[in-house]
Amino acid sequence: MNPEPFLQLDRVIHEKGRLAIMSMLAASPELSFTELRDALAMTDGNLTTHIRALQEAGYVAVAKSFQNRRPLTTCSLTAAGRKAFTGYINLLERIVQQNRPK
Amino acid sequence: MESNWAAENLQTIRTLMERSAVYRRALAPIMLFAGALGVVAAGIGLGCHLNSMRAFGTLWLGTAIVVVAGTLLIARRQAFKDREPFWSPPTRRVAQALLPPLTAGMCLGVVFTSADLDDGFTVLLALLWVLFYGCGLHAAGFFAPRGVKLLGWAFIACACLLLLRAVITNSDLNLKAHWLMGFFFGGLHLAYGAYLYLTGKGKNAA
Repeated sequence: MNPEPFLQLDRVIHEKGRLAIMSMLAASPELSFTELRDALAMTDGNLTTHIRALQEAGYVAVAKSFQNRRPLTTCSLTAAGRKAFTGYINLLERIVQQNRPK
Repeated sequence: MESNWAAENLQTIRTLMERSAVYRRALAPIMLFAGALGVVAAGIGLGCHLNSMRAFGTLWLGTAIVVVAGTLLIARRQAFKDREPFWSPPTRRVAQALLPPLTAGMCLGVVFTSADLDDGFTVLLALLWVLFYGCGLHAAGFFAPRGVKLLGWAFIACACLLLLRAVITNSDLNLKAHWLMGFFFGGLHLAYGAYLYLTGKGKNAA
């Protein structure tokens, strides 16, 4: 078995919670903090921590605004985030292909 | 096995991406359009005393056809404006979820109307329509904002309570079918459409 693709996996994305956030954001132009929290059944603190990690990696952009005088936090994938996510999926597909019985 | 978790991860990603791509296109205008037509149809029914089963069924089946056609046109126009495909995966999933209960309700309406049953059956038909439509909204709610599912529950709960009340008290509901239709298909749609506009949740992505 060739371990190379496994070693190339992006460690920032390769965490259950962060992978879920990236997957949700990859399919939507942007999602609010509440939408992400409800869809992924995460606590506020857990989601904030993961989003901060993704933001620090430059994968997720966070915008804060007000809607009807209430604060609204929206998240979206950056170009770098989309590229990293695509790369991650390609690697997973390679691993699956590599281990498929011939 | 390494490939097992990789395949599982891919499946998880696919599921999450599907769940994320909820239908939001032109939801507020669609709700307001359906609600306005519901109110107008109820007004016509009450004003013109269309109380026979045939007249009631024809009016509301006709309204339903106009609403469905109008809804598709609004969604298509919005997709065209946003330069997005009209028949996107979320649109397709919502349509597939709505189709069985709407077809069943339509079929039931045609049967009741063709049979030209007693006028008292118009209330029963109205409640059955409310029930079927609620089931449709609830199913579509899995691929749309959460409010759609809640709206579906509101339709289902009200229809069930009114039907149960009729059975328990062993009496007719002493309600005008047009009022019922106007309230549910007019009022509730308008209320939800207004809520979407006011809260800014009428985003257009599909």
